[in-house]
Amino acid sequence: MGEYLVEMDRICKSFPGVKALDDVSFRLKSGEVLALLGENGAGKSTLMNVLSGVYQKDEGEIRLFGKTVEDLNPKKAQELGIAIIHQEMNLCRHLSVAENIFLGREESRCGVLQRKDMNRRAAEILARLNLDIDPAEAVGNLAVSKQQMVEIAKALSTDARILIMDEPTSALTMSEIDELFQIIRRLKGDGCGIVYISHRLEELQNIADRVQIMRDGRYIASMNFADTTMDEIIANMVGREITEKFPRISCPRGEKILEVRNLNAGKMVRDINFDLFAGEIVGIAGLLGAGRTETTRAIFGADPKDSGQILLDGREVVIRRPIDAIRGGIMLVPEDRRKDGLCIKLSVQSNISLPNLDMLSNRFGVIDRKKEKKLSEKSIQDLNIKLPSSTVNVATLSGGNQQKVVVAKWLARNSRVVMFDEPTRGIDVAAKVEIYNLMNELKKQGIGVLFVSSEMPEILGISDRILVMCDGKITGEMEIGEASQDLILKYATTFDTKSGLPEAI
Amino acid sequence: METKDRQNAWKRFMSIRGVGQVVTVTAGLIVLCIVFSMLSSSFYSERNVGNLLRQIAPILIIGIGQAYVLITGNIDLSIGSVVGMSCMISATLMTKGVAPFAATMITILICLGVGVLNGTLVAKCKVPPFIATLGTMTIARGVAQIVNNNYNTDAIGDSAQGFRNLFYYGKTLGLYNTIWIAVILFLAFDFLLGKTRTGRHIYAIGSNMEAAKLSGVNSVNTTVIVYVVSAFCACVVGLITCAIAGMGTMDAGNMYEMYAVAAAAIGGISTFGGEGLLVGTVVGASIWGVLQNGLQFAGAPVAIRNIVIGTIVVISVLLDVVIRKNKPRKKAKRVLPVQVGSAK
Repeated sequence: MGEYLVEMDRICKSFPGVKALDDVSFRLKSGEVLALLGENGAGKSTLMNVLSGVYQKDEGEIRLFGKTVEDLNPKKAQELGIAIIHQEMNLCRHLSVAENIFLGREESRCGVLQRKDMNRRAAEILARLNLDIDPAEAVGNLAVSKQQMVEIAKALSTDARILIMDEPTSALTMSEIDELFQIIRRLKGDGCGIVYISHRLEELQNIADRVQIMRDGRYIASMNFADTTMDEIIANMVGREITEKFPRISCPRGEKILEVRNLNAGKMVRDINFDLFAGEIVGIAGLLGAGRTETTRAIFGADPKDSGQILLDGREVVIRRPIDAIRGGIMLVPEDRRKDGLCIKLSVQSNISLPNLDMLSNRFGVIDRKKEKKLSEKSIQDLNIKLPSSTVNVATLSGGNQQKVVVAKWLARNSRVVMFDEPTRGIDVAAKVEIYNLMNELKKQGIGVLFVSSEMPEILGISDRILVMCDGKITGEMEIGEASQDLILKYATTFDTKSGLPEAI
Repeated sequence: METKDRQNAWKRFMSIRGVGQVVTVTAGLIVLCIVFSMLSSSFYSERNVGNLLRQIAPILIIGIGQAYVLITGNIDLSIGSVVGMSCMISATLMTKGVAPFAATMITILICLGVGVLNGTLVAKCKVPPFIATLGTMTIARGVAQIVNNNYNTDAIGDSAQGFRNLFYYGKTLGLYNTIWIAVILFLAFDFLLGKTRTGRHIYAIGSNMEAAKLSGVNSVNTTVIVYVVSAFCACVVGLITCAIAGMGTMDAGNMYEMYAVAAAAIGGISTFGGEGLLVGTVVGASIWGVLQNGLQFAGAPVAIRNIVIGTIVVISVLLDVVIRKNKPRKKAKRVLPVQVGSAK
């Protein structure tokens, strides 16, 4: 191990309402693999985005190769030798491997592309990585793992010495992961520094030299991997005091409302079985991509089901489309409010009334404006949404208030089951508490509440019962009394297909 | 106090979505009318005003149809061909001795079929609307040509005089019937769009298809409805065209789909979907008609008319794009915390 490639000192970065990075320091040496660990939202991606110039730091100092760097932007970072390999691949599927590698830096002579030259140079880089990939092949024709390798080749073609890999193994099979690790070791031998972000802690033993742990936008610890234990790492990752307030009310568990039996829908929803009782809040925990959102969407009828039964109050209901679920009293407050929750060009009132138009119109389909106004104003008041009037465009509201509008849409009618998908993502603490209170209110009314969250404290703070998902399956279920962060994390990483990882070479 | 109240009322009126653009283009329309009346003293003669309104009517009708489709974020290129098809089918039937009423009904049914086909292709089969309606545009024109063996029809004859009066030559309460037809269709479709569930669904799928679906909106049915409305409007214009000439012409309605886009777009219907008021299309169609008529009165050759009108279309949509471009930039900052929250 050699000199420091990256030295970041006391980095701070705020976004409106959120302090994403608070006094974080970071070191990366040449010839080492540093595993950057932390829960969702711990600030890992933000820190790496600062390093690669996507975000500008508010405070602190960045030294690259020993030199202080100011005004880092993505282009400058690339020129300095920083390459980031994203979780979702940024390749043009229809272009060839060589074209992708040299995208934006094409070689041309008198305006004519030097295709042969680029293919030759691409072949050299691929050979250096010991990869058997034809540079002229279209990227879309390659297996996912090979595409990942092309990403790496692209990074190396810029002579990058600092590589950031964000969840590089999430789309790979066992043997492909093995292949990736070999390449990482080779790059390490060439003196590159590699930042490795992964939720799969069991992978670390194969490659990590050092770990740095972050939590809530803060630096927590950094140590040599050899000197630590997995338990210590997990304890550092999750062991925070829960500082947010989680209002909890207790009410007796009532009748069984919802029963999901052997639900299958695509790759991410496999053989799901669970019950939901009146007067309880069930949290679904798991890592990103565990199939939690897909499960709620399949129940709601937003995505087609392959098989399985859904019983509401003991009777089977057939849900083919969202409207079937809505009529039956099953509501879904979706995850991404801009993508799935709101019609951003319409008014607050129109958004709230959209799923409830059947109640607001006569049998000829004519909307009763007075009823509509009454309904939306009542919802706005109930949820304490702050806005000048119900006719303003939803786009003008803050994130928390937008989220409340999404929730309001679904609470205006009588429901039996309400599913929330990441209801508090990206909203401030005060608004979060209001959402929790609302969920408690529903619970008190005897409505079954199901909620998906990636925030551990929230799951532990609000739910009465917890389901844990991993890889499209429910891997654990526990009452709140027996739940702990370690236990949830254990179930959440119970991968059945990729558990046996190759031994370190 | 009173002026303050009035100011507030004005502010509230302007804050209704889409009103701003309508007010702007209406001001433009008034300016055009003033300019043309100065250029030619007979622009405001009773005769010309009647003719002008009668010229505007068909553009308004197809504009309404296209506006419906545009609000859902799609486009209908088959409008012009459906106009031709409607014109040829009705004329052929009437020359073959079918009663005008029956001929009209049969024509409407066939045209609605094109609308159902368009809507199904786009919403159910997920064919991009540009391609789907490009296909039906070509097919419908082919149908227009084949119904009378690739000839324009003969005169539809004396028995169809009532048909011709109903759709074009007759007057009711001092106004040409064509104008009445446009007014009635506008009122009906404005009601459908503004006051009913279907109308709200149309805006919703144009604004955010995924959110609308998750709210229980049947996106396939809604898309079929807008294409059926568009085909119906085109059909009516085809009948009007048949009534004007008293015969069927195979190239009737050529390019009308584009005129329809122009009328809707000038009137503030967003070509990106989800926005716009139908009343804007009235203004858009009027601007189109006034330019055609006024430039003709002012003695401008056809070539100049085309250049002026084309320029106006681009400028009005350009304004829309510029306004849109400036808006999200403000929003972008607000989005950031959301992205941070979802960071892994």
